[in-house]
Amino acid sequence: MKARSLIGAATVVALLLSWYAATDLFGLIDRHRFPSPTDVLAAGSQIMSRGYAGATLLTQCVYSLRLVVLGFLIAAATGVPLGIAMGLSRRFEAFINPVFLLIRPIPPLAWIPLAIVWLGLADSAKILVIWFAAFVPAVINAYTGIRNVDPTLIAAARVHGASSALILRDVLIPGAMPMIFTGLRLSLQASWTTLVAAELVGAIFGLGKVLSTAYRDIYPAMIAVGMISVAVLGALTTRALSMIENRVVRWRRS
Amino acid sequence: MSDIEFVSISKTFPRGGAVFTALDGVSLKIPDKEFVAIVGPSGCGKTTLMRMVAGLEAPSSGVVRVGGRAVNGPGADRAVVFQQFALFPWKTVRENIAFGLKCKGMSRAERDELALHFIDLMGLSGTEENYPHQLSGGMQQRVAIARSYAIEPEVLLMDEPFGSLDAQTRILMQEELIRISRVNPRTVLFITHAVEEAVYLADRVVVLARSPGRIVEIADTRPTRQAEGWDKVASEEVMEMPGFGHLRAHIWRLLRQQMQLPAREKNKDRKT
Amino acid sequence: MTAGQQIERWRLALLSLAGTAVFFGSWQAVAGSGLVSKFVLPSPAEVIVAGVSMMSEPFAGDTIQGHVLASLGRWAAGFAIAAGIGIPTGLAMGHWRVLDAILSPIFEGYRYIAPLAWVPFAALWFGTGIGGPIMVIFTGAFAPCLLNAYRGAHQVERHLTEAARTLGAGGVRVMLEVLLPGALPSVISGLRVGAGLGWQSLIGAELIVVSSGIGYVLVQGQSNLAPEIVIAAMLAVGLVGLLIDVVLRSVESRIRRRWGQ
Repeated sequence: MKARSLIGAATVVALLLSWYAATDLFGLIDRHRFPSPTDVLAAGSQIMSRGYAGATLLTQCVYSLRLVVLGFLIAAATGVPLGIAMGLSRRFEAFINPVFLLIRPIPPLAWIPLAIVWLGLADSAKILVIWFAAFVPAVINAYTGIRNVDPTLIAAARVHGASSALILRDVLIPGAMPMIFTGLRLSLQASWTTLVAAELVGAIFGLGKVLSTAYRDIYPAMIAVGMISVAVLGALTTRALSMIENRVVRWRRS
Repeated sequence: MSDIEFVSISKTFPRGGAVFTALDGVSLKIPDKEFVAIVGPSGCGKTTLMRMVAGLEAPSSGVVRVGGRAVNGPGADRAVVFQQFALFPWKTVRENIAFGLKCKGMSRAERDELALHFIDLMGLSGTEENYPHQLSGGMQQRVAIARSYAIEPEVLLMDEPFGSLDAQTRILMQEELIRISRVNPRTVLFITHAVEEAVYLADRVVVLARSPGRIVEIADTRPTRQAEGWDKVASEEVMEMPGFGHLRAHIWRLLRQQMQLPAREKNKDRKT
Repeated sequence: MTAGQQIERWRLALLSLAGTAVFFGSWQAVAGSGLVSKFVLPSPAEVIVAGVSMMSEPFAGDTIQGHVLASLGRWAAGFAIAAGIGIPTGLAMGHWRVLDAILSPIFEGYRYIAPLAWVPFAALWFGTGIGGPIMVIFTGAFAPCLLNAYRGAHQVERHLTEAARTLGAGGVRVMLEVLLPGALPSVISGLRVGAGLGWQSLIGAELIVVSSGIGYVLVQGQSNLAPEIVIAAMLAVGLVGLLIDVVLRSVESRIRRRWGQ
């Protein structure tokens, strides 16, 4: 294990060094197309102190983060209960499923133009699209989670005299929890992808706006700064979700 | 010539900060064409010994020689029959048996001919184009044995090959193995925890003790085998013979002595 | 089947029908009530009319089939490159620990970058014609292809690779005849997920920088304030995505059935 992380660290260092060598040191790569490490650092400090595309990095990050978290939470709060209900009742599933099947294959990004027609470039349009993107994985995995709970466990609870409500609370929902979190992780990923796309299509603030402005200005170093920021925020939110998961699903073997 | 030689083999693992000794100073010589069974309680390192001959594991100290050469990685001179059969699910019976021949670079016609010969020998005719999952456990193990014989190895290594078969199939397969090894004698190292199976099949039975793994006794079955004529009758009759019963009881006693040690300690714990 | 089950089955079918009817009924009701303008929500019928007329009359430079084909062509190219690089790399990483240790940190970092965030670089490096969109599809489809090949190779039982080695197989043969077929079910699931993400990334790229393809129809419909065209194009996008998924699913189940897994 130790050797493994050592090799990993060595790779990252080697990669950074060769990036530096190919750009700053020997100028093998055209800096107007591929930024050098010093370019990226300069762009980073520019957006942090003076701002770019209308605001500083912190403001842009907070702006995007807020939309993702809002959209994600709304999707989780609506999608998970719907999936659980579909998993519990075959009749409810039969009622909802055809519409769900019709909407599901449409990629969330394809909703962006319609959201713009309906709501313009406002925050609500982006939250709507993120909600669409994050909703589907939340529903599917909550549904599968409920359906895959071991029937022996339900039978065991019933033998001990548990009521339906108790079975739902103490057997079905905890049993489905690992799957629900799998779905939420996918939802979170979809939220970021969708937000970036929506902001690229049209936005006033946000990291997508930084990316599109940098593209228009042909400013590769700033594009890199935008991408790195998106990746870092994505990693941080995923980490936060895992921490919640570990707390909720403490009984699971790692 | 392909004798197997273990020269003061030891194997240690790091386990939770401490060093665990799985095998301690095991030395054993198996002459060419001899059938040796190793029995012992689980955790005595019998499978590790076999894997060392196969070249899938290396001893911490000591050396394993096959045909006078030190083992250094797997090779087609030593074939392994695994307990889990290890058949390729995506290959038919014929393709599984021909796999080793393909590795040797044989032409398609040659390897099909050889594969068919071993399909015939193992009583697998009619299943050539089946996939492993379509066969019973006993049939799957026949395929695995045929695959090992097909590369014509000097040494055959068998790791509890009948361990996952039901009792009846197991007895039939044992008789089959005796039959095959008369047609095709090889040096065989056979790992098992079934005493009866070891006595019935092997020329010599090596009894291993655990923690640390070491040899406690080597029992030669050949004098009794010849005196009572085991190879001429069915296995159920062999099991009733006094010489067989004596050997079986003797080895059982040796194993019981080791198995009772930890069991008694546990009982003590429960009382206090 | 008992009579009770038969009745329940009919009831479920009826409920499905009712659900569909409620959806389209309320859509029609809202659109037809005059409360919302048809520039916001067209009726289902208007969407169908728009879709059918786009099949013969060009919109944004081509018929709807033409746009779909343009998108599909790009998708196939980007997807093929992603699979062609991702699968062998994943298998090799799953088998050789050293390679795993070297490539894993790079891949982990890459995974957190949302595929669409590559659009500016893709356009800058490869233009907005063919190269750029292909790169965006690649960035969407690459991760699932690699990851599932990697997991699949990990799951190939060790005694199978050991058996192959004791029968005299070398590294390349173990890769091709044991790891690849052993990992195949997982590889195919990866392809399926990658195909979906690649298709979705392409739509994103076409929304942002490319000026042809079905995603472009979406943007043009939006800027012409023609939501019926937008919705018709969305349905076309969904249909193609569904088709890709159905084909790959049937391949997947065929492979699983054949090996009895």
